[in-house]
Amino acid sequence: MFRKLFLVGLLVLAIGIVPALAQTTTVRYFTFSAAPDHLEDLDTIIAAFEEANPDVNVEVETAPFADYFTLLQADIVSGDAPDVFELNYENFVTYAANGTMLDLSSYLDAAAPFYPRALEAFQYEGVQLALPATFSTVLMFYNADLFDAAGIDYPTVDWTWDDVHIAATAIRALGDDTWGVYSGVQFWEFYKKAAQNGECQFFNEDMTESTINSQACVDTLNMMTSFMTDGLMPTAAQLSGVSDGDLFASGKLGMIVTGIWMIPAFSEAPFNWDVEVEPMINQHANHFFANGVAVSATTSVPEAAAAWAQFLASSEVAANVRVESSWELPALNEPAYFESYLSQTPPANRAAVFTALENPVTPPVIVRQSEMQDTVNALITRVVDGEITAQEALDQAKVELDALIAP
Amino acid sequence: MTWQTGWNKWKWVLFFLAPSLSGLSIFILLPILTSFTLAFQDWNLLSPPEWIGLANFQEMFADAAFWSALRYTLTFIVLYIPSVFILALGLAVLLNQNMRGVLVVRTATFLPVVASWVVVSLIWKWIFNPQYGLINPILNLVGIQAPAWLFEPGAALVAIVITSVWKDLGYVAVMYLGGLQAINDTFYEAAKIDGANPRQQFFRITLPLLTPTMFFVLIILLINSFQVFDQVWLMPMRDSAADRQVEVLVTEVVKNAFSYNRMGYASAMSWVLFALIFVITFVQLRMQKRWVYYESE
Amino acid sequence: MNLSRSPSLPIRTNTSTPARISVRRVLLYAVMIALVAIMVIPFAWMLSTSLKAQQYILETPPRLFPNPLTMESYTGLAERIDLARVVFNSGFVAIATTIGQIVISAMAAYAFARLQWRGRNLVFTLYLATMMVPSVVMVIPQFILIRQLGWVNTYTALIVPSLFNAFGTFLLRQSFLGLPKDFEEAAFVDGANPFTIFFRIMLPLNMPAIATLTVLSFMGSWNSYLFPLFVARKEEVITLPVALGVLQAGPRALTEWNLVMAGAVITVLPILIVYLLAQKWFVQGVVSSGIKG
Repeated sequence: MFRKLFLVGLLVLAIGIVPALAQTTTVRYFTFSAAPDHLEDLDTIIAAFEEANPDVNVEVETAPFADYFTLLQADIVSGDAPDVFELNYENFVTYAANGTMLDLSSYLDAAAPFYPRALEAFQYEGVQLALPATFSTVLMFYNADLFDAAGIDYPTVDWTWDDVHIAATAIRALGDDTWGVYSGVQFWEFYKKAAQNGECQFFNEDMTESTINSQACVDTLNMMTSFMTDGLMPTAAQLSGVSDGDLFASGKLGMIVTGIWMIPAFSEAPFNWDVEVEPMINQHANHFFANGVAVSATTSVPEAAAAWAQFLASSEVAANVRVESSWELPALNEPAYFESYLSQTPPANRAAVFTALENPVTPPVIVRQSEMQDTVNALITRVVDGEITAQEALDQAKVELDALIAP
Repeated sequence: MTWQTGWNKWKWVLFFLAPSLSGLSIFILLPILTSFTLAFQDWNLLSPPEWIGLANFQEMFADAAFWSALRYTLTFIVLYIPSVFILALGLAVLLNQNMRGVLVVRTATFLPVVASWVVVSLIWKWIFNPQYGLINPILNLVGIQAPAWLFEPGAALVAIVITSVWKDLGYVAVMYLGGLQAINDTFYEAAKIDGANPRQQFFRITLPLLTPTMFFVLIILLINSFQVFDQVWLMPMRDSAADRQVEVLVTEVVKNAFSYNRMGYASAMSWVLFALIFVITFVQLRMQKRWVYYESE
Repeated sequence: MNLSRSPSLPIRTNTSTPARISVRRVLLYAVMIALVAIMVIPFAWMLSTSLKAQQYILETPPRLFPNPLTMESYTGLAERIDLARVVFNSGFVAIATTIGQIVISAMAAYAFARLQWRGRNLVFTLYLATMMVPSVVMVIPQFILIRQLGWVNTYTALIVPSLFNAFGTFLLRQSFLGLPKDFEEAAFVDGANPFTIFFRIMLPLNMPAIATLTVLSFMGSWNSYLFPLFVARKEEVITLPVALGVLQAGPRALTEWNLVMAGAVITVLPILIVYLLAQKWFVQGVVSSGIKG
């Protein structure tokens, strides 16, 4: 009798101890894109990962984008970097140059269907330091009802910015509070329009000098500001605190050049709208924004961390979750994943997203990235306000950019 | 009294001072000293800091952004301090009346003080909004051409000053109120007997006896307004000319520390700011003999 | 300390009118009403926006009374963040910080105001100097320290560093200095030690200044954003201003103003309550701290 009790007791003990002996590895993941709208989606992906990897537990930390990088740096400098963290393309170079990320080449599953271009974007000096998790691009959204009211044809993929000018004039004539077009006059739009021009480059080939004040660049900037000076596009003062997205959503804007992340925001719009590839100047060029996921160089759990990073970036589960909830698009070359994305409406012409990817352009990136963006933006604002000419602004920009890239 | 001298005294000093001083040393003084050494280094937070001597200071004094920030800071001070200083005095005299409803007014004027700048800036950004706000319709009614307040640099600074005065008025007024109520009535009684009218009473009794309070207020206002930050960071409308151009010293420090990853440069700038505040406070302390009247002297 | 009323306003009055309701009175009341309006209307605006339905917020011309009135901003906010927990965290931290600050500052103030010791002025200047350094430069070194102490994501990190604030000591020192020494000297003659004096005389007689410090400390802790952002990010300890930060959508979404305003109302309300509770002593509080400079 006691023997049986003893054996049962042993069994109970064993059942209790064995799971405890199997160690659970915890992976800390820091992200900005998940909060506040996609936490549940992230949890779905995590659940799938933990099922496939029962001894790994993923812990999520989030922060609003505005504070994210400050917090990340603080964590890194205090010696407690998260095991896996998200970062966007613009910041990648800074983090890479300071050796904060783990070389992922040995963990990378060669069969993962990443877009080669996306994978390259996150290599630094030939080393794969992060994986592309999502990408997005910028398209031209247009209000079909306003086009009908003005009696003009919808935009096509062959449109140039001159065509936009004509259409915008027609729509603007519909009413005082109806605007023709909005395409931000700022850094990110400027380098893209520069690529559409084809001859304007911010820097020379070997990044030793800035060429932002070339004639081609001046012409590009003038083209961008012409929409405001011609009264077709509202200035910041005329927008008066309402965002361009709000303006379009309220039906008062004919065309807007903005990111595909705004599609969910416009889905409830009370008018017909669609998208098209952004018009060109001399050639097509479209934004290629990518968010990557990296593993910290100082992590104590590299295998688990890399496995999670890989799963988040390239698994079918993750891809499907993202597509279904319009949470950015996976940077994967698998048409099958995008079927459901393409079939959702509005907008009807979602295929434009992939057409846009045929001419991708990434931002010029230097180590002192934020300062460059602020400098260029400050000078562009002064042109918009009529304080200085485009030539003067870009001449000044050249001086300041040269100083920023000086070793 | 035996506890006044020797080890006994120091035992008491230690007892009362130790908690505060030790905590202050660890959590405030130590970080301050660390940031002081950072001023001579180049540090982007991701790599170890590098010693560069005086290079940060050299760069700063040649940096147009620094001088612009200094100009905006000084302009803010010149517009803000006299306004608060004088208006709060008027308010305090008003609040000192023995009338029904004074308590309501006192509470109302303190309401802006207790709200954070995040909240206050949200409200006032709406009020100053050229299209959807409260102020421009009123100005237009009166026939004044209203500026695009928080979009243009000059107008934005004025709007920021107005909001700051609105927010701090109650607090400063309450400080004055204390000083007013502490003035001994016998002075006024004696003056009335001598035939002084209310105006003479104010300028010859009230004001002189209020100078110690005014001095305290001035010092606090100076120390705080040199470090003005929240309202300048929060109020200008995003992506406008005001947003790009209106910077004060502390917003420059924050920008350099957290957006540009230049902790060393940011530290150097905050030390120049500290020196500025220290010198001005010191000058005020010296000059108080000329205009501050201490009753006990 | 004489707390009697000061003389009448130095405005020319119509002294020949014997009636109680004088021009001066009417003028004064008018000014007071205008003042209250100027101070309160912006908050009324904030409250009104928080009670509006989303689509009416950008209306022109703007309307003060919402039509229809709705609580959807508040329920919407409660769905986004765990309001109950967040408010509890903020409240707990603010109360603990306030109590701690008062005790520590009062003791230090006593050492500066009433004990004579060598180096006293120098150390006090040091205290003043700490108020002249922008706190933003201290955040990273402080954060590293907190990390080394293992306090990240704990209430300790939110409370302890905030207990040591030169301003509180400055404020109370002014107040202590303004008190005549008669009571203490009498007590010394009776053989009391400094602690008894401190506890039974200084504290009770300086209640107004302490009430002031209570409100200011509470306010400082409740509204604190930058330092808590770094040290308290987990749900269990996150405080209100940081939690509301998620509403500040980046450039990739549309800001929901009604939620933001609802958050603002929730932020202001508790401080208002603390202020009203301390109101009775408040005015007299700042009285004593401002006098002898």
